[in-house]
Amino acid sequence: MNKALRPVRSAWGYLKEISGENAYDRYLAAHKRTHPGRPAMNRGEFYRWRQDEKYNNPGSRCP
Amino acid sequence: MGNRLGRYAVWIVIAVIGAVCWGMLALARGETINAGWLLFASLASYAIAYRFYARFIQRRVLEADDSRATPAERLDNGRDYVPMDRRVLFGHHFAAIAGAGPLVGPVLAAQMGFLPGTIWIIVGVILAGAVQDMTILFFSMRRDGKTLGQMAREEIGPVGGAAALVAVLSIMIILLAVLALVVVKALAESPWGTFSIAMTLPIAILMGVYMRFIRPGRVLEISAIGVALLVLAIISGGWISESAYAEAWTFSGTQLTWALIIYGFLASVLPVWLLLAPRDYLSTFMKIGTIALLAITIAVTLPVLQMPRTTPFAFNGEGPVFAGSLFPFVFIIIACGALSGFHSLIASGTTPKLIQKESQVRMIGYGAMLTESFVAVMAIITACVLDPGLYFAVNAPAGVVGDTVQSASSAVAGLGFSVSPEILAQTASNVGEESVLARTGGAPTFALGMSQIFSALFGGVAMQAFWYHFAIMFEALFILTTVDAGTRVGRFMIQDLAGNVWRPAGRTSWLPGVVVASALIVGAWGYFLYVGVTDPLGGINQLFPLFGIANQLLAAVALTVGTTILLKMGKLKYVWVTLLPLAWDAAVTLTASYQKIFSADPKIGFFAQRNAFQDALNNGEVLAPATSAAEMQKVITNSTVDGILSILFAALIIIIIADAARVWFGILHGAKEPVMTEAPWQESKLDVDGRELVGVGSNRNE
Repeated sequence: MNKALRPVRSAWGYLKEISGENAYDRYLAAHKRTHPGRPAMNRGEFYRWRQDEKYNNPGSRCP
Repeated sequence: MGNRLGRYAVWIVIAVIGAVCWGMLALARGETINAGWLLFASLASYAIAYRFYARFIQRRVLEADDSRATPAERLDNGRDYVPMDRRVLFGHHFAAIAGAGPLVGPVLAAQMGFLPGTIWIIVGVILAGAVQDMTILFFSMRRDGKTLGQMAREEIGPVGGAAALVAVLSIMIILLAVLALVVVKALAESPWGTFSIAMTLPIAILMGVYMRFIRPGRVLEISAIGVALLVLAIISGGWISESAYAEAWTFSGTQLTWALIIYGFLASVLPVWLLLAPRDYLSTFMKIGTIALLAITIAVTLPVLQMPRTTPFAFNGEGPVFAGSLFPFVFIIIACGALSGFHSLIASGTTPKLIQKESQVRMIGYGAMLTESFVAVMAIITACVLDPGLYFAVNAPAGVVGDTVQSASSAVAGLGFSVSPEILAQTASNVGEESVLARTGGAPTFALGMSQIFSALFGGVAMQAFWYHFAIMFEALFILTTVDAGTRVGRFMIQDLAGNVWRPAGRTSWLPGVVVASALIVGAWGYFLYVGVTDPLGGINQLFPLFGIANQLLAAVALTVGTTILLKMGKLKYVWVTLLPLAWDAAVTLTASYQKIFSADPKIGFFAQRNAFQDALNNGEVLAPATSAAEMQKVITNSTVDGILSILFAALIIIIIADAARVWFGILHGAKEPVMTEAPWQESKLDVDGRELVGVGSNRNE
């Protein structure tokens, strides 16, 4: 679009990236690359799997 | 030559600005000083450290090699090993390391004036904290993301490894107790705060159901809804506090303690998507948003620091917030933001599996820690813009300030500061609280400072109550997230340990195992929380130093591992990079432990305290601030437990360093060829948006 909107769009892109909003798209791309022809998880399955995975192997955070 | 000078000119300017700001902080005459000097002194120092020192560590000490494939590239499975954009990874890593710690420690350390804490936060992060985070991140990355415990076992030996494990578990328990204590102290007798925080539970459950079943993965829209509901919860807390329901939402510290213990147990047993995961999102957004807002507001309003440079407590060690003098206790109380052993748990494990290029450890490890340090600097500013008299009325324990504004005013006068009873009453009413006296734990002080800073820009006095409770909510929210997550981590550790003895106990989904392990870990921190809440001496000043010692103990483990690996890499010339911070950390922690164990002053030494109260009890006397024989007994039990813990922590540090010294001696005397456990060199084919690559091919060790 136009130049003035560019920072807004890149901030929005960053937000989507960091919040995990587009994690499914990334997963699909990686899945097609590494396991072509095998069925991939759908969006709901992927996020449920991802959430369980994350919290079943917890790291920790700083106090 | 001219070109070279041009390249450095900007750094010379930054150095001069930094030097002027530091000069103003240290030497300027006059009663008060503007927070801007502090802000810019820290920013200039960080910039120079990042450009020169971090780069030196990256290129010379670690010899980061961008032609070497990172585990994220080699083992890319789209799951835990994924090459992640460095800016995104920076955000994740920062969100993981920055919790409530950098907001609490600096507030408590402000009792010694703003200068000691500030110097330690800035110098400490540059030479110790960020170095620890960066080197551990790098070494873990070179080992495919091994955890600190695994590295301690493999690089040092089974004794060091076991000591590291005990250290991690015990710090976790003390940490959770202290954090929960901060929440209890902030919410006790406050219907507004309690109601708002309670409302985060239904909000989190709503978000959890939405993200799990209704629109999975649509994180941003539901987080926006969550934040809006959160603001509504804060506003409606104000209505509750003025309504007939206020009484029903007013709880004592003990009642809140039980509520938290039950909550912690449920959160550990319930599925994560229901409570923990949505809360995690909410608190991360709140955290980043509020910190950014605070930074901008401070930079725009440039408030004046009311706290003096140093107070007499820095030298006489008789401060009411915590006892003990500047050395070693400032360096214990301020852990997060300067040097935090906890970060080494995050820097090993998750983050190293996501790095694209080796040289990025500088931005992610060193840079994220500098950012956390900046948060700590803002916390100290926030505490120091308050009138010192008010600061001490809020932070001294109840046994010192008494129950009325009059008694508090005269107690503060006794400490050498002044605040009128009217101001104390007015402050409480401005923020919609019954009282602000003896609201220890750091959170209320931070919230008072933040409401003062924010309301100067947004809304004036009328908005002060909202901003106060906004700050309380913000801090309580992510403390509770840490309590959830930490209890879970502790539960997994116990299950892991038990699994070594009896297999089924190690399965993380086996319900009886889950229940027993959760109960154990909640019981452990719940005990210290209960003890802290009911301690006649004030729980924070007893427990917070222990927490600091435990955290710095973990830092000692991390720096010992780092030093060992540097020696194995043949980097004797640069070993001071981790060895000097280790020596400092050991000196601080062992001195503090020594004083806590052996000091004859009952205010500092746990056993001296125990003896003083025991003798008095034997003679049938009651020592202030205890008011009955039962309270005397309580003090005696607590100081015994705390004293024994101090001995345990000191012993662990000595064991780990001694065990590592044995390994160092072996390496230096060439007794054995050092065993390197790095993953082998493999060429990187990953392309990262045209950035200059560092140290290409410099250290193949095929």
